Amino acid sequence: MGEGVDVRVRSVAPMVEKRPTAKPWWTQRRREALWFYIMASPWIAGFLLFMGGPLVASLYLSFTDYDLLTPPEWVGLDNYVRMFTDDPRFWKVLRNTTVYTLLVVPITTVLSVWLAALLHKPLKGMRVFRTIVYVPALVPIVASAMLFSWVLAPDAGLLNRTLALVGIDGPAWLLDETWVIPGLVMMSVWGVGTGVVLLLAGMQGIPPELLEAATIDGANPRQRFFQITLPMLSPVILFNVIMGLIGTFQVFSQVYILTGGGPNDASMMLVPYIFEEAFRNFRMGYASALSWLLFLIIMTCTAIVFKTSSRWVFYESEVRR
Amino acid sequence: MSLLAQDRRSRPVGSGSRLDAAATYAILTVVSAVLAAPFLFMVSIALSSDATVQKAAFTLIPREFHVENFVRVMTSDAQMARWILNSLIIVAFACVGQTFVSAMVAFAFARLRAPGRGLLFGILLATMMVPIEVTIIPQFILFRHLGWIDTLLPLVVPSLFGSAYNIFLMRQFTARIPRELDEAAQVDGLGYFGLLVRIILPLMKPVLVAVGVFSFAWAWGWFFGPLIYLNTESKFPLALGVQFLSGTTTNAQTPPYNLVMVGALFLTVPMLLVYFFSQKYIYQVNLGAGSAGIR
Repeated sequence: MGEGVDVRVRSVAPMVEKRPTAKPWWTQRRREALWFYIMASPWIAGFLLFMGGPLVASLYLSFTDYDLLTPPEWVGLDNYVRMFTDDPRFWKVLRNTTVYTLLVVPITTVLSVWLAALLHKPLKGMRVFRTIVYVPALVPIVASAMLFSWVLAPDAGLLNRTLALVGIDGPAWLLDETWVIPGLVMMSVWGVGTGVVLLLAGMQGIPPELLEAATIDGANPRQRFFQITLPMLSPVILFNVIMGLIGTFQVFSQVYILTGGGPNDASMMLVPYIFEEAFRNFRMGYASALSWLLFLIIMTCTAIVFKTSSRWVFYESEVRR
Repeated sequence: MSLLAQDRRSRPVGSGSRLDAAATYAILTVVSAVLAAPFLFMVSIALSSDATVQKAAFTLIPREFHVENFVRVMTSDAQMARWILNSLIIVAFACVGQTFVSAMVAFAFARLRAPGRGLLFGILLATMMVPIEVTIIPQFILFRHLGWIDTLLPLVVPSLFGSAYNIFLMRQFTARIPRELDEAAQVDGLGYFGLLVRIILPLMKPVLVAVGVFSFAWAWGWFFGPLIYLNTESKFPLALGVQFLSGTTTNAQTPPYNLVMVGALFLTVPMLLVYFFSQKYIYQVNLGAGSAGIR
């Protein structure tokens, strides 16, 4: 211990002595710092204008009443209190958003792992299947919403006509309070390919020796999958779950386009609700308070997933260390 | 059990039995059919006549081929050419701005030492977690004060300031480029800007393409921003125009769903083309993200 310190002191000493001799004010180090700030300036300016400034403003607005026409009026915690005690729609919105997220994220996670495992098999023609699975993820949300308005239509819809072939009388999906959220979930699951691509890339990174060794030890395909592939993929799964949570909680376009939150608010979710309050009813203060709540919820969920992840996420490098 | 495993040892790992392969094909065929059927339906609706739209008598397999629908949306029944042009303007700003501005900022974060850099990078990472809904209201108020509502400005100007996610992605990539190159460049008398443009940018090609494609995808399909800032039909980008054409909120008359689906196809096809031409690069970047996960 003492030896190490000694060595360090000795090696630094000559450098410290040298410095005063070569000492113009305009040092290499200052030039580098100046260039850092020049090159980073677009982001710094953008941060102040579009992120930092708005964050402060949004927090302030959430404690006011503001309709864009008259100046903001300070109301303290009223917006937050009203949300929880005096807005029955808010609870419904929160419930819908939670139900939707708890359906979409687990279903897409399990399905994407299963599909990736199938698509990773070294069989002929897999490229074609991989493409078909990924392509829906490329369709812009407005286009897929237009499409699903006809997939999920009550009588003429693709889904109900298919169900009719096997004798099932399908519900009115987007027009039915019970089935509207499952309908929206189906649309999200259609884009499962996003996660599959990352998982497939992750599978390429699993050393084949690991699987070979397991095979020689007598592990069957099922054991190999659950004991090797899945643990090795868990960091990618964590990434997918977190991105999925964040994205799903902020669902907007398909709700706005397909249902407008109806019928009877059965599919109204947080972001469409914020949009309606802010840009249709011009209650900027209340909408700001709602958006901060959304922020808090997303942060909490992400933190919880991260905290529990040490129990189920396996990092190869940690074992090697 | 162990006997069976020994029998299989000679085969390549993962190929399994012939039964297994058959089951895999069967499952994937069904899944692919389910995933692809909506596409076929989209094409079929796009080719339908107005009469078929009125009756909502669409078929999965196209039975009529009204190709003139693809011309109608450009001329008489919609302003789709105008909408596509608006989309292209937004996309151009997003691609150029996001890619090159983000690359420059990423280079600064990866290579140049300066007091406060660590703090700024921490802030950058933190901003990636902020949902846009939190900042959109003050941004709207800001742009309203500037008189930018119902213009394309609020949709293109912010792109010129880079984005946290792209900067982060590119910084991670740039950090892996060997530093000896920097020293060699300095010996040759290149400044920091020269180092970026001549040496680093060419090496960043995969991540530049990937970010360009992500920016394209985001801007081409962007709905929330245009919905908030634009009111005049002729200023709409394609995504907003298609939604406007479908007019789902009015029940007075049947919207021209065949033309709406033509629009949906116009939205989709460029995405497919861009993806297939850039697949190689995206895959490299995905591989990095996939093997690293979240750390």
